[in-house]
Amino acid sequence: MTATPAVSPRSRPPRARRVTEAFAGYGFIAVPMLLFLIFNILSLGYAFYISLWKWGILGPIAFRGLRNYQEIATDPIFAKAITNSIVYTIIVVPCQMALGLLLAVVVNAKIRGRTFFRASFYFPAIMSSAAITVLWLFIVSPDGLFNHVRSALGLDPLFQAFGFGPGWDWIGQVQTALASVMVLNIWTTSGTIMLFYLASLQSIPGELYEAAAIDGANPWQTFWRVTFPLLRPGHYFVAAVSVIGALQMFDQAVIAGGSVGAPDNALMTIVLYLYNAGFVQFNLSYAAAVGIVLFLVIFAATLVQRRLLGGEAAW
Amino acid sequence: MGIAEPPRAPELAVALSPKSREGAGGHPPSRAWRFGAYVVLIGYALLMFVPFAWTIVTSFKTQPDSVQLTWIPNPFSTIGWEHMFTELNPPIQVLFFNSLMIAVAVTITNIAIAGIAGYAFARLRFPGREVLFLLVLGTLMMPDQLRMVPVYQILVILGLINNGPTNYVGLVLIMAAQAQMIFLMRQYFITIPPDLEEAARIDGAGFIRTFVQVMLPLASPAIAAVAILTFQGAWNNFFWPLIILQAQPHWTIPLALYQFHAQYNTDWPALMAVVVVATAPILALYLFFQRYFVEGIAATGVKG
Repeated sequence: MTATPAVSPRSRPPRARRVTEAFAGYGFIAVPMLLFLIFNILSLGYAFYISLWKWGILGPIAFRGLRNYQEIATDPIFAKAITNSIVYTIIVVPCQMALGLLLAVVVNAKIRGRTFFRASFYFPAIMSSAAITVLWLFIVSPDGLFNHVRSALGLDPLFQAFGFGPGWDWIGQVQTALASVMVLNIWTTSGTIMLFYLASLQSIPGELYEAAAIDGANPWQTFWRVTFPLLRPGHYFVAAVSVIGALQMFDQAVIAGGSVGAPDNALMTIVLYLYNAGFVQFNLSYAAAVGIVLFLVIFAATLVQRRLLGGEAAW
Repeated sequence: MGIAEPPRAPELAVALSPKSREGAGGHPPSRAWRFGAYVVLIGYALLMFVPFAWTIVTSFKTQPDSVQLTWIPNPFSTIGWEHMFTELNPPIQVLFFNSLMIAVAVTITNIAIAGIAGYAFARLRFPGREVLFLLVLGTLMMPDQLRMVPVYQILVILGLINNGPTNYVGLVLIMAAQAQMIFLMRQYFITIPPDLEEAARIDGAGFIRTFVQVMLPLASPAIAAVAILTFQGAWNNFFWPLIILQAQPHWTIPLALYQFHAQYNTDWPALMAVVVVATAPILALYLFFQRYFVEGIAATGVKG
């Protein structure tokens, strides 16, 4: 939704009234502005300040300059974390966008039960990340539903050919841990992305479809020639939100692999690395420096996207 | 139509109410297309429902039975549910109370703050209003994870990182004001016609009385959306409680799931019972107020 101008044409009120109105206005926004000032705006500067020090639980111990950043740059585990986060983002974002768009197009059509289907597809998105992750860990555990079902469907030889035996521990083995979390998040976010695309789809004028139908376009052509190009602002918005979300993946990783990203750093992400440094090893200044790096990564990703998709920022 | 009760109040978000622009993407209803659509819909709906059915079934199984592919628990057992009271530390009723208390506190503060500030940003004229509003929206660009260390340090300075009940105050403060909720309220207030407000002012009502007696009742659909979205967000939140809550007796359900899974990762019946308890309140809200979830998400454009 775009912000609409709030001022309605009114006759100019007397000066005294305008002054009271301004005071009332400032009074009404004082509390949230104070909270945002402390926890958002000052936080940003404070994070950078902390990152320049050796910092204990009680405050600064010694000035370190940029040495925290140097250590980050040379730590192989950070390299692993940033690789994992980028690989995760590059695979998850297109998949969840494609799936969300497919669901939106299908749910948007004139078919029976569309409200029901829309509601069920969004359901996983309302669950807590902890609950759905634990449920997922159960499903992909060695004795879990996934391994049972693939056996029952006679797919074991196929999986065996790729080296995944009947009791394969999907989340516990280095080769498949990150992929398992990817599938989990593609599944749980598809409903949210469907809702975003639905809002976009409904802004496309119906006449365009009538015109396409008169020209004899089939549904496939209509989708690629009319719907998809006209969804451009929607694509940009969904991509921006998805990339930021994917680069911040944390809950699922820490629940599945603990604060060390087990097995063997396979689930180590940038934010998990930050959490581990700050709140497991209590090296707060190092963690603050990782936070600044994360911010720069997200900022760079947003710029790259704007280049690629050429859209305007959504908010 | 929309969720608005009072006749004058406009809809929260026209885009997603079921009757508006129904099937705007109206493809010609060819048989093949329709068949393909149903295959996708039903197939994907199954992918949604089977895991949750499996969760509930497993919660009534015994531990050895939980790793078998059977849909009827054999024997039927409530041992998993009992473990929530005996094995969890703190037990489930304490966790439930903690989660509920935090979620209710966050909901109330958000309604108050977003209602008042949203009204000011929509209707009151004061210098710098647009800039300040952009600043509020700007906070959405800032990832929570970047704030992790400084917010923790600020709470340490304020004395809110401790083992006592004031630890909760810190947690609630961080979630008390959310930009997308202020945005949602502002957008709603803008759509309310100004005549009523003018009438109240001509009758001599001040800004506060006009807001409380005239505007607030008209905004009830938007307030409901804010309430539901913030309750859900706070109930489900894992990240901030993990960083801020110090004492184990103060934990919430998501934190306990994390810990419990690490500790007893083969007690699937009990874990699935906790998953059911963690999901049930949100599911109930969703069943009754689905429209607020859907329209609220669309109106804010940000996941709650």
